[in-house]
Amino acid sequence: MKTPAAHAGSRDLDSRGRTVLDRKVVEKIAGQVASEESFAGGSSGGFLGIGAHSDFSARPKVTVELAGNIAALSVEIGLLYPVPLRQVTERLRRRISERVTALTGVEVRQIDITVSWLKPADETTGRRRLL
Amino acid sequence: MRQHAGALNRTWLVILGILTLAGGVLILLAASGTLHAMSPAMAPAESPVLTGDLHTAFGPASVTAIVLVAGVLLGALGLLWILAQIPRKNPADRYRLHQDPASGTTLCEASVLGSAVENQINTLPGVVGSSALLRGTAREPDLTMKVTVNNRADIQDILHSINARVIPDLSTALETPLRRTGIQLEVSGRNPVSGSTVATTGTVIY
Repeated sequence: MKTPAAHAGSRDLDSRGRTVLDRKVVEKIAGQVASEESFAGGSSGGFLGIGAHSDFSARPKVTVELAGNIAALSVEIGLLYPVPLRQVTERLRRRISERVTALTGVEVRQIDITVSWLKPADETTGRRRLL
Repeated sequence: MRQHAGALNRTWLVILGILTLAGGVLILLAASGTLHAMSPAMAPAESPVLTGDLHTAFGPASVTAIVLVAGVLLGALGLLWILAQIPRKNPADRYRLHQDPASGTTLCEASVLGSAVENQINTLPGVVGSSALLRGTAREPDLTMKVTVNNRADIQDILHSINARVIPDLSTALETPLRRTGIQLEVSGRNPVSGSTVATTGTVIY
């Protein structure tokens, strides 16, 4: 037998409606988390995938497969060269998994990472030194 | 850069050599009569080795079929051997870099690593062009490089830079020392295509 207060609370929850996240939201969150790492990047520019160039400030391409509340991600990413690829991708995997679960509540079970390009960091910022 | 079927050729040439040598020795022994002296069942010297009627032996259709199949088989083996002579690159497909596949896979195309190495070599002074090829596995990678230089290049300096920077960087990326590295140098009269622009970092005083 429920107390009137608990009953009222549950009715209250029902009346609030539901929040539904599109798959694309999870994809974008995961892409944003990945691009926040300094060693990772995506590709930008181009038309229909032609002429796209690697860019450390772009979001990597993420595809999400949702099965209920469990997600499997596949990330296509560009990395800084030279970084230890195993360590860096493992760190990235943990970070994406933590952040996506924290922000959306979706449990991330698998993250497949494909390294699509490797580029050295620009040694100079391209800016002149100001005195 | 390309691999040849050296080991395969050596193995088969040794096997065929031993077989032909044994056949030759047998013919010599039969011709000199030594074989007849050792075993009287064998034909004596200067007399036919085969005495039976060969037409009846090859009469049945099954024998013809067996000879035909054996001939086709030998021909196919010979053809395969010829095809194996085509020099091949045998590049590594993709390197698997994950520890635990249950939490997800990490894949990197070997050509992606190869182009990173090429970009690094192309920045060395005097280098006109380069191509890098990775073979083997992610745990035991082999790197082969072809570096084209022009007359302004200091070859010792380039080799030193490759050994001191390019190879250690690839080792860092793959987190394992390279099993084998090969450098092929080529000289060309072309001018380098890269290095047409440079970011200005001059000091400006306002």
